Amino acid sequence: MGAQMAKRITLGTIAARLALVCVVIFAVFPVIWTLLNSFKEVVDIVTPTPKLFFSPTLENFQYVFERPSVRLGLTNSGIVVFSSVVIGALFGIPAAYALAHMKSRMGEEIKFFVLSLRFLPPVAVAIPLMSIYLDLGLYDTRLSLTLTYVLLTLSTIIWLSIPAFERVPTNIEEAARLDGYGPYAVFFLVALPVAGPSLFGAIIFSFILVWNEFLIALMLTTSEAKTLPIVASEFTLLGRNVPWGILNASVIVLSIPPLIFLGVLSGFLNRMFKK
Amino acid sequence: MKAKSHINKVFLGPPLLVLAILALVPTIAAIVISFQNKELGRRGTSFVGFDNYISLFSDRRFSNAMKVSLQWEAITVIGTMVVAVLVAILLFETTRGRTRAILSTLLIIPVLLPRVTAAFVWKFMFNPLLGVINYPIKELTGKPIEFLSNIETALLSVAVVDIWQWGLFFAVILLKLLETLPKEPFEAARIDKARTWEIYAYVAIPMLAAPLISLTFVKMVESLRSFDLIYVMTRGGPGIVTETLDMYAFSQGFVESGRISYASAMAVLMLLTTIITFTVIFKWVRKWQNA
Repeated sequence: MGAQMAKRITLGTIAARLALVCVVIFAVFPVIWTLLNSFKEVVDIVTPTPKLFFSPTLENFQYVFERPSVRLGLTNSGIVVFSSVVIGALFGIPAAYALAHMKSRMGEEIKFFVLSLRFLPPVAVAIPLMSIYLDLGLYDTRLSLTLTYVLLTLSTIIWLSIPAFERVPTNIEEAARLDGYGPYAVFFLVALPVAGPSLFGAIIFSFILVWNEFLIALMLTTSEAKTLPIVASEFTLLGRNVPWGILNASVIVLSIPPLIFLGVLSGFLNRMFKK
Repeated sequence: MKAKSHINKVFLGPPLLVLAILALVPTIAAIVISFQNKELGRRGTSFVGFDNYISLFSDRRFSNAMKVSLQWEAITVIGTMVVAVLVAILLFETTRGRTRAILSTLLIIPVLLPRVTAAFVWKFMFNPLLGVINYPIKELTGKPIEFLSNIETALLSVAVVDIWQWGLFFAVILLKLLETLPKEPFEAARIDKARTWEIYAYVAIPMLAAPLISLTFVKMVESLRSFDLIYVMTRGGPGIVTETLDMYAFSQGFVESGRISYASAMAVLMLLTTIITFTVIFKWVRKWQNA
């Protein structure tokens, strides 16, 4: 009986281990495969049998970084994303602090308004804005794209920063108040430093959101203000005799900034869901 | 007390004003434009009343797009939640400590990738000539499966990418939620000789009902953002099999014909539908969770 039991458990354990391996392969293989392909010459990609071993080349990346369109896309993405995240954080973090302390019905309604902005379909925002920016002569500029992205960064930062401030123990803030700190001093000298790490996570989250954004950028830019995802998508839509290695390299380049923050976001998730 | 309301005004006033302007301007503009006959590259517009809306209701491609969008919502939301629950349980049962932490980090890689990257990565793997997925299929059956240009498989194949990104991410969140549950009910169920799946079906999942419903809601909202995947992988094809509402509105308002007003009418209908639906669901979920 006991032996039978043990056998059943091992069988189950083996099956579970196998399933786990499959899940991990499903998760990371596509990325690793793309990474490998980005270092391959075309002859190593266009093979009847997929090649795991080959002599790597940096040509693909060299080609990608030498493209004027990629350089412009990098600059545009950098400027637009950086400005919209900074503006979003400057306005959003104080707003989240105020909302975290508002226990009234009014506070609830404002929180819902901020959340409901995420319900807006991006295409429904982009179509009218395209028309407005064309009329104002702001179409295809970094300014108009930044402005539009502030809608995304600001609402996301507010929404993710509220729990960060709610987790600041109230007795610390009370103690500071008894020590004669004014409300602004409590915010800047007590709440901000204590909530700091979580707030950083929220900011990074909004950074990734706009860095990856595609539809709005596609509709609001044509040449001057094109961001990197648009440039990369143009690579991927090339015709028949496609330079596959270059395509793989271009999407890898596009993905580096979000992946740099993998550790930060992992820590952010841990804090968000800790009791 | 007075100082406190002062700081609230300073901290909340400007951001709310910015948000209100940024959200209301396009919304109102969409409504106004939808009652006009505005086209890109053509001067002079006039008001045409409900003409655009009336044309939409007899537009076969529009009703097709609605159908595709609903299919997309259903497939990706259900797929994501099923994958998330199964993978979370698998990780909770078979891993601990450092291994679990490392695997959790690996599983959030897909969701961090730009959608353009995710779409391309899979488009390349699905490729009938060079794709790694088709390699074993070709070895076994002699011919590849045209995942993205076959009517039967196109939408499902794109949905796989979405589930790859969101299902694994939600699995990590659920894993963290499982970790916060008290141990006693699990042990009690084990003493009663409950099978593993019974413990989850009757103990753990009901305890996590509230966050599970919230996650489902988040995914419903996020599934509206299907455009990038479909644009890169199929462009709505083959034919219009994967043409969702945002894809159709985009092609009408932008590339094909520049019919801004017609596209705006679509945008307004989408806006109304999503805002009403999600507001109702959100309020209902909150009431249910507070009860």
